[in-house]
Amino acid sequence: MAKTYDYLFKLLLIGDSGVGKTCVLFRFSEDAFNTTFISTIGIDFKIRTIDLDGKKIKLQIWDTAGQERFRTITTAYYRGAMGIMLVYDITNEKSFENIKNWIRNIEENASADVEKMLLGNKCELEEKRQVSKERGEQLAIEYGIKFIETSAKASIRVEEAFFTLARDIKAKMEKKLEASNPPKGGHQLKATEPQRKPTNWLSRCTLL
Amino acid sequence: MDYELPTEFDIIIIGTGVIESIISAAASRIGKRVLHIDSNNYYGGLWASFNLDAIQKLATVEETLNEGLGNTFFNVKNFEIEWHIPSETPPESTEWSRQSLLKESRRFNLDLAPKLQFARGDFVELLISSNIARYSEYRSVSRVLTWLNGQLETVPCSRSDVFANNKVTVIEKRMLMKLFLALDSGEEDYHNYENKTFRAFLTDKKLTPNLIHYVLYAIAMCTDDTPCLQGIKNTKRFLDSLGRFGKTPFLFSMYGSGEITQAFCRLSAVFGGIYALNQPLKGLILNGDNFEGITCGTQEIKAGVLVMGAEKAPPHFIKQHPKSSIARAILITDKSIMESEKEHLTLLLYPPEGGKNSCVVLELGCLTGTCPKDLFVVHLISRQVEGPQNDFKHIIGNLFGPEKANILWSCYFSIPDSNDLDLTVETPKNVTLCPGPDLDLDYDDAVRKAKAMFTDIFPDCEFLPRAPDPEEIIIEGETSDQDNVELKAESAKTEE
Repeated sequence: MAKTYDYLFKLLLIGDSGVGKTCVLFRFSEDAFNTTFISTIGIDFKIRTIDLDGKKIKLQIWDTAGQERFRTITTAYYRGAMGIMLVYDITNEKSFENIKNWIRNIEENASADVEKMLLGNKCELEEKRQVSKERGEQLAIEYGIKFIETSAKASIRVEEAFFTLARDIKAKMEKKLEASNPPKGGHQLKATEPQRKPTNWLSRCTLL
Repeated sequence: MDYELPTEFDIIIIGTGVIESIISAAASRIGKRVLHIDSNNYYGGLWASFNLDAIQKLATVEETLNEGLGNTFFNVKNFEIEWHIPSETPPESTEWSRQSLLKESRRFNLDLAPKLQFARGDFVELLISSNIARYSEYRSVSRVLTWLNGQLETVPCSRSDVFANNKVTVIEKRMLMKLFLALDSGEEDYHNYENKTFRAFLTDKKLTPNLIHYVLYAIAMCTDDTPCLQGIKNTKRFLDSLGRFGKTPFLFSMYGSGEITQAFCRLSAVFGGIYALNQPLKGLILNGDNFEGITCGTQEIKAGVLVMGAEKAPPHFIKQHPKSSIARAILITDKSIMESEKEHLTLLLYPPEGGKNSCVVLELGCLTGTCPKDLFVVHLISRQVEGPQNDFKHIIGNLFGPEKANILWSCYFSIPDSNDLDLTVETPKNVTLCPGPDLDLDYDDAVRKAKAMFTDIFPDCEFLPRAPDPEEIIIEGETSDQDNVELKAESAKTEE
């Protein structure tokens, strides 16, 4: 079967509970919004394939499955991630302060060259704002990452955010590909692997 | 803590070992309200992986006990860590130093209980059938070695191995094939061997001493005393798992075996399981012979059922204390035990020798995601006789040293084996204790235990049915702000 994409990028969403990670994910993957998510039950990851400079890029975006609530994100969650969206809520000071903790967590567990981006979500709630845009920008500069304010509810700049992250990963990857061929990772186990032929190996050996 | 834990659950699971995590995933999967909690600040308990820095720290806290819940019977014991390199080297030096190795600390994933999986074993089948396989990646073991006549030899376990192996004569190759064919066809009659050893069976088949060694110690992973029927079963299992994912029957999970528990925890979380690590577990709330809840910090949390790792249980729940231990060593080395052009993932089955038990040696290179480039991590696993240092002395003497691979860092410890104990004697009826790591090479027995416990707690419930793929989940009312979200898993093939 022909591959329907040129690149596959694994992206993660990280940030405190209730900042709207799942809403951002749904806005981007389904162009839908719902405020009644209590947590992220049942959501594993979503996929959307985008076009970028003539290349088809399949974005596999993973949600935290609620494991961020008590700071229990597994180390396995970070494996193989190429990009991370750090999300806070502009109406929630604490969620902004915690970005530093999440970055520390990423530094401890994710690959050193993972592409990061900072999202200040819920920017439609201007009247409830606790974190100014300038502070968001300042923090992003501190960590040398890009920053964008979004609204999953009002559908503001969510597309732009994911496209920016994807473009940066693509650029980094193409630069790396030119330099060398990266080592292959492991295999995913699928039931569609070669079916068992019980006597295959043995029967061929009867030639001996 | 930013949030308080909810206080009512169907089941509370304490400890994030393999069996606890499988039960957690299975319970969440059928819609039970699960609280999965651990006093450790990491996943995996006695099955966890650590980076170099963390495992050193672990050695220093070995005997500390959580206030309230837990016992010390199953603690990791006899921890001994030793550096075999200078703490610093001159800046221009290319030799490893303690400092340069610790700088790479994060690239290490050092397993307390390293495991392999049989490509067609129960565990791999469960990963695939439950759709948990998507949370982890695997590499196949690329060669199986044994120690024979004072040197390392490749065990012929694929057709090309047999051809490439110049130590096996053409006549021996025929013998080996005949034996495998007979075992595979199931026509062989073993009833004369019910009370005999597998070695006796192989001897009667007129196999040469070398072939007996390969089959007995490596392929069937037996000892001289293993009953014939067990040996036959083991050999078949090995042959059955050939040719599915690689040249050997075995798979290793990338980034270490500790990732396995996390894969099950992830599924549990995806289906609503609540996770909390690093929790101040104070005690259990009991009413006579009935478990009612736990005290966690200042909170009382209720549930109808408790599942916990044996090491987390109050001491009076443990009637029998461990009788035997698993001897372990972890080494960081600068070369493979058997150098080759490409990086191998090596399983060495070291036969019993001079009163010492047989030993599983697993050598992992950087492609497994468990160590930095140009280094290897070597695990040794055996049933303890005297203690890990003495039990492995002869093997380490044979495999490492001048002209061979050098050991840069070593770590020895013992894990008390809780698998041959009856853990049900002193526990309330609605409490289940899970044993820790066993000596098996794989997880198949752990899966069987977890399934049996789950079925016992939730009779007539399906054990880990296939989880839907994300694209099969349809969210209804997604454009309305009022409607409740309803997740609907369509049956797998409706659209095709």
